[in-house]
Amino acid sequence: MKKRGRGIACMWYPIGFTVAANPSAAVVKVNEDGTATLLTGTVETGQGSLTVLGQIVAEELGIATDDVHVVSADTDTTPMDTGAIASRTTYVTGNASRLAAEKAKEILFQVAAPMLGVKPEQLEARDRKIQVKNYPQRSIGIGEVANQAQFVMGQPALGSASFNPPTVALDPATGQGKPFATYVYATQIADVDVDDETGEVEVLRIVAAHDCGTAINPMLVEGQIEGGISMGVGFALQEEMLFDKNGKQLNPNLTNYIMPTSLDMPEIEVDIVKNFDPTGPFGAKGVGEPTAVPTAAAIMNAIYDAVGARVYSLPATPERVLAAIKAARAKKLPKPKRKETQKRIAAH
Amino acid sequence: MAQKPGSKKDSAMSKKAKPVRSKKSAVIGRPVETVETLRLPAVMQQVAYPIEALAPKVRQQTPAVGQRATRPDCRLHGLGQTKYIDDMSFPGMLYCKIKRAGIASALIKKIDVREAEAMPGVMAIITGKDIPVNSYGPSIKDQPVLADDRVFHAGDGVAAVAAVTEQIALEALDKIRVEYEPLTPIFDPVEAMKDSAPKVHPPSSNIYATKLIKKGDVEKGFRESYRIFEDTFTTQMVEHVPLEPHCSIASWDANGRLTIHSTLGRITLGRTDMARTLQLPISRIRMVATIVGGNFGGKNEITQEPALAVLSKMTGRPVKGTFTRTEEFIATTTRHPIIMHYKTGVSKEGKIIARKVRLVLDGGAYCSWSETTLGKACILSPGPYNIENVHSEAFVVYTNKTMTGAMRGFGAPQVCFAYESQMDEIAHALNIDPLEIRLRNAFHEGSASPTGQVLHSVVVKDSLLQAAERYGWKEAR
Repeated sequence: MKKRGRGIACMWYPIGFTVAANPSAAVVKVNEDGTATLLTGTVETGQGSLTVLGQIVAEELGIATDDVHVVSADTDTTPMDTGAIASRTTYVTGNASRLAAEKAKEILFQVAAPMLGVKPEQLEARDRKIQVKNYPQRSIGIGEVANQAQFVMGQPALGSASFNPPTVALDPATGQGKPFATYVYATQIADVDVDDETGEVEVLRIVAAHDCGTAINPMLVEGQIEGGISMGVGFALQEEMLFDKNGKQLNPNLTNYIMPTSLDMPEIEVDIVKNFDPTGPFGAKGVGEPTAVPTAAAIMNAIYDAVGARVYSLPATPERVLAAIKAARAKKLPKPKRKETQKRIAAH
Repeated sequence: MAQKPGSKKDSAMSKKAKPVRSKKSAVIGRPVETVETLRLPAVMQQVAYPIEALAPKVRQQTPAVGQRATRPDCRLHGLGQTKYIDDMSFPGMLYCKIKRAGIASALIKKIDVREAEAMPGVMAIITGKDIPVNSYGPSIKDQPVLADDRVFHAGDGVAAVAAVTEQIALEALDKIRVEYEPLTPIFDPVEAMKDSAPKVHPPSSNIYATKLIKKGDVEKGFRESYRIFEDTFTTQMVEHVPLEPHCSIASWDANGRLTIHSTLGRITLGRTDMARTLQLPISRIRMVATIVGGNFGGKNEITQEPALAVLSKMTGRPVKGTFTRTEEFIATTTRHPIIMHYKTGVSKEGKIIARKVRLVLDGGAYCSWSETTLGKACILSPGPYNIENVHSEAFVVYTNKTMTGAMRGFGAPQVCFAYESQMDEIAHALNIDPLEIRLRNAFHEGSASPTGQVLHSVVVKDSLLQAAERYGWKEAR
């Protein structure tokens, strides 16, 4: 008989990694037509990080996202980056990119100030224009300023910068210190059906509320969360590398190593928790890895809620869940759904 | 991923497009209609690219942050036109295949490559002795590019072949004879911690890194607790399984400069490792990556690249190596299985007073990113809760299994499974709502973490309440 259960799990996760410094550097060039090029050593690994970095540079320069072209991942042309790892790209590479864009913008302001008859600090960059704060009618197109900078002033608008998250090494005896610059938080709630005769678990719905600071691109945040949940479901219920007694893998192929397919995926509802981290670029932190963290815990708690059986070993295969149900029955543990159980007994 | 031209207009454009000559191509140049009838075209069909600049529209103007901006690469993904490393090819390129040990722990007595070397089409074969510095690793340099005198796990490479086709390279692998002297392997991390256990990397201890986080006095906390909960949780080894397997191409120019096109997600570190293993100045190496077809932590360090570079230098030809799906499982990093012992003392109201955690991470044959994983798992293990008394100790241990390393979450999914499962048990035992018990314990702005760090922009309670509201937690029953 299928039993429905719900489970909740929350988590915290750091941005960037510990043990060693993890800096990023970036170069921003403003082109003669007011578009910009960002050089970064990070690598697009499918998550859309280059789009996010382009948005950060565009925001700083007051231009459109598509005005920014991102050149990445070539050690001959792009500056150093610790890499697409540890959910650090938006925060660390993003900070470096924003700082580089800010430096290029300072040159634009110095060039535009005499053109507009004001001081550089009275200027802002918005809507592809350099304009006087509070007087948007007094403005010059950013391309015109970039052109002036390059061909008249002889000072091309470009900037380079680096960022390394400030940390304090842990005391080896007590582990006290500041290992990471910032953390993100999240909660996931899972609905599952558990068949108490076969031990089979079906995840029906997952509600995910994730903090990522400012969501630079909410669509990409949602994509990360959905992808992370699919890994979480596999980790919770299906995936396991098996070895024989001689240490050789038994299932090194996709026929016998079972991963979730689209048919195994629950309905996912994503909420982005409103937050702003003053240390991140425009308040952003990151979201990559944390999306896969609380899923398994939420599913296990839902299994317990459904059938009163606790799974202590992942993955919760039907065999393991059935064994846990039998163990729970044998121990006569108090079951959360007592009324339903009594109803079933009465029905028999 | 061939694109099917949908309309007549597309077909007309394709016809007009100049056919590209390729020796692999049998179908290019035929009328498009014929190509369409083939169910599985061997070569991607040529399509004329629509040349239109993605000029931003007015609505896409500033502000940029917060926009649901489309990715510049999504068009190529959608058209099946993204060029991954394995889609690249250079004139005269050779294909590399690696002979895997298939034995978990052994001494290598002899590697006989004579028969394989004599095969027509086999251009070069190397073993570990041909790699100038045959070791690498992000923290401990314990991993050989190709195992030379000792095998540490069954997926270790022992020889690499470069041949004119992949098929010839694969056939050559069968003709390489390796003599092993088997050693006693160790697979259980708890057994491996004992002094009597066989050493994976003698004379080093099997426990290769430890971590300790201490705050307050846990024993005093347990004495003050209303109830104490003790549980042991374990997790399994899993693979990243990216759609795109590891792939690299090594080529040298006449100035003796090496270019590596690679699926690496960390080219800066990759270049440093290449310089060290090949004993080349860093400025003589160029690493180029493209869009990676899934990383999840599995492409954070070099694997076969030094072997490809040596083979390329020996043959004077570009050399490509692409892992099979099996190699993805047996020869790349995986997620750490962790044995997690949790002891937690709580008050009657469900407030956590003390928590003692002991983690044993199965590190597999090599360190890889284990130190980072160990650190994160240990620091995060008490959970996002205000706990006065914390004692968390963690060990990572060598075993003769596939190496574990970076994977999405660095130990966090494992410890989250443990601390949240136990939180649930505590809630049920004390008859407190699982949401309520978390709200009572959760971090708030300015909370001190287990390492004594004052936390900012903390929204764990907001996330709990927001998820509960969206789910309908209060209304559900």
